[in-house]
Amino acid sequence: MAISQEEHLKELSKGYRFDWKDPEHPVFEPKRGLSAQVVEEISSLKDEPDWMRKARLKALKHFEARPMPWWGADLSDIDFDNIFYFIRSTEKQAQDWNDLPEDIKGTWDKLGIPEAEKKYLGGVSAQYESEVVYHKIKKELDDIGVLFTDMDSAVRDYPDLVREHFGTLIPANDNKFAALNTAVWSGGSFIYVPPGVQVDIPLQAYFRINAENMGQFERTLIIADEGSYVHYVEGCSAPIYSSDSLHSAVVEIKAMKGARVRYTTIQNWSTNVYNLVTKRAAAYEDAVMEWVDGNIGSKVTMKYPSIYLLGEGARGEVLSVAFAGKGMHTDAGGKAIHAAPHTTSVITSKSVSKDGGRTGYRGLVRVEPDAHHARSNVRCDALILDDESRSDTYPYIEVEDETAALGHEATVSKVGEDQLFYLMSRGLSEVEATAMIVNGFIEPITRELPMEYAVELNRLIELQMEGSVG
Amino acid sequence: MNTAATRTFDERTLRTLPEAPAFLGDLRERAFEEFRAMPPPSPETEEWRYTDLTAFELAFAPAEVGRPARTTSNQDLEALGVTFCDLDEAAARTPELVREHLHALVPTGRTRFTALHGAFREGGTFLHVPRGVRVELPLQTLTHLDADGTAVFPHTVLIAEEGADVTFIDRYASRPLRGALADAIVEITVGDGARVRYASIQEWGDGVTHLGVQRATVGRDAEFRSLAIGFGASLARAEAETVLAGQGGSSEMLGIFFADGAQHFDHRSVQDHVAPNCTSSLLYKGALRDASRAVFSGWVHVRPGAQKTDAMQTSRNLVLSEHAKADSIPNLEIEANDVRCGHAASVGPVDEETLFYLESRGIPRDEAERLIVTGFFQEVLDRVSLEEVRHGAELAIQEELGRAPEEDVA
Repeated sequence: MAISQEEHLKELSKGYRFDWKDPEHPVFEPKRGLSAQVVEEISSLKDEPDWMRKARLKALKHFEARPMPWWGADLSDIDFDNIFYFIRSTEKQAQDWNDLPEDIKGTWDKLGIPEAEKKYLGGVSAQYESEVVYHKIKKELDDIGVLFTDMDSAVRDYPDLVREHFGTLIPANDNKFAALNTAVWSGGSFIYVPPGVQVDIPLQAYFRINAENMGQFERTLIIADEGSYVHYVEGCSAPIYSSDSLHSAVVEIKAMKGARVRYTTIQNWSTNVYNLVTKRAAAYEDAVMEWVDGNIGSKVTMKYPSIYLLGEGARGEVLSVAFAGKGMHTDAGGKAIHAAPHTTSVITSKSVSKDGGRTGYRGLVRVEPDAHHARSNVRCDALILDDESRSDTYPYIEVEDETAALGHEATVSKVGEDQLFYLMSRGLSEVEATAMIVNGFIEPITRELPMEYAVELNRLIELQMEGSVG
Repeated sequence: MNTAATRTFDERTLRTLPEAPAFLGDLRERAFEEFRAMPPPSPETEEWRYTDLTAFELAFAPAEVGRPARTTSNQDLEALGVTFCDLDEAAARTPELVREHLHALVPTGRTRFTALHGAFREGGTFLHVPRGVRVELPLQTLTHLDADGTAVFPHTVLIAEEGADVTFIDRYASRPLRGALADAIVEITVGDGARVRYASIQEWGDGVTHLGVQRATVGRDAEFRSLAIGFGASLARAEAETVLAGQGGSSEMLGIFFADGAQHFDHRSVQDHVAPNCTSSLLYKGALRDASRAVFSGWVHVRPGAQKTDAMQTSRNLVLSEHAKADSIPNLEIEANDVRCGHAASVGPVDEETLFYLESRGIPRDEAERLIVTGFFQEVLDRVSLEEVRHGAELAIQEELGRAPEEDVA
């Protein structure tokens, strides 16, 4: 126990066989803090093309120049100098099972997560036995021409596609954390679906778990070509233990003419993590983009999946569920920018706060001039379970076209006494009754999840309710 | 631009203000220092995001303060023990009371404009209704502005003691002016069990910039009803805040506006629930024409411990022309759990189906649209209990609707 994490990582890296090409950096030593040199090292370790190296360095300048956001959650405790910006995935398995917090291990047990998967989630092992499944699915995808790989490989294997789309929706200077991600990104998924191809199983990061998909600064790019369909599932409902204090991902999605993309996230970081993520999608003519976004864990989450409705008749939907318990601040929401005629958007947000937690909905619906006949509806409901907890709603509606019709509604309430009474008179305990009511409250979201996720999410809510009442 | 450049907001002008009691002199000095030290409100902040006054030049001269017209509806206020007079006169007569309440709810240091107000204000209205006294008919102050390039600082201090009952109307009016500033503050204290109805009717002419801050505190079992009507000014920013400070209090905030030409309206509201068992409801409705722009941003705060709060906030915007622009941001910050809070906002055009229905009944399109807009405002007007105010608003809406739309303003 006496050695620090830093020393531990150094120790590990010594024995590792590196296969990079740059002779000037024979050994990459993980170190804290960010500089042009660190960025150069990441790029050279990955043996990246020059344009990516330059993009990273330029992004670093944006990151340094940008002030911290003055709005939203309190980020003043983030110490950028005390963060590892790049650790090889093999080095990451530095956790000792015994060092993992008991409550997290307990939750895994209660959720019925298999042993091998628990080890992966705890960062103890790089993979669990999903290899076989992964390869089977990989083969099926190859047969229909779908590209599904990690982002690092995509830069190498599909340079033209990546270069054409990378950073086009979320430019490096979009915001401070997008700049940070662009400078130091690693891992994440790359998906390309050819025209007219329908991918009928959800693509889950789960299935290619040995790739670096759950890094701190993952970068995901999804392109659904004309008339295609894909559903991507990120994360899992089991809590993920991370010793990294900052998670800052960027996800860019393009739904071309007539395509449909659904992106589902269930995020359940351990409660020491700042989760600051930029997610943006473009929907072209008659395309459909759907974000299903569940935020269960983390210390602070700031995440507002957005949809740019760029083609006539495009549709967008954001379903957001947020939970905040003790010491947590979950600031989630969604954005819909209507930039073409006859576009529609629906945003539904459900949040639950308890034990002093704070949830927020922050959203924007914007109708650009000439995006005539836009329709949008926003619905936010918040449930506050005790008198220490808090819920905020910050909806922005900006309209520059007179034919637009926009509506927003929100409610904040507590668990109904009469509902509780009814359920308890049927023999349920108060905890069970509350959990049942909360599960009913978030049902509009869970019913959109793949079945196994919905089941896990419900069980997780039940666990979160334990000890909350009475 | 500035037709009365001889006097502006400098130390020399400050020294020319009429003699005042020591506390008022000190307040002016402090406010002047704040004014000199404070930068203009930054559009980088949430509060000023939609109204950028960083380049706004304070090239105005303090207006000659004419006597604002006060109307008592011929009631013998003296017999009731009610004080209704000029604010400076009250400062001389009952300095303790004025000292306690002047800039207590809206501190001079709130913004550069409230500081300016604190330093250069002359006159204003002081209304004090003693314990248990009921003033039957509405009282009113008309603030008038008549010279180009001048600034006026209307200020109302209204105190309703325990169980008192009063209705007050602030009316602002002018002809179109070449550059003028109205920097207004309203401070209302509603004592325990008191009832106050307050209406502000803003009918400045074109060319006037109106910056108003209204804040009321509502005591135990008290009732406060406010109405803000805005038709005038080139740029009007009106902040209305109600603090529910005592258990069982209730507040209603209504707003009506009609923007046309290149008018810019920035309405901000706060419903601040500090005490438990209070009710507040807000309903702002506005129509926009030509290249006008309207922003509504409202806040409901429910402070820790303010259980059994019932708060509702509604903003509705009817957009009548292609170049008009409406933004709506109804915010909630809830820190108690046993509450009923909600908000609703909408921005949209006149409903085509309703239009079609009326047209199919033989009503010409223009007339049909006018009917729909009238009906849109009716929901608010129905809640206005002051007959003359409601009627005035109805006439003003009809007048706005009768006006030919401005072409090519954008």
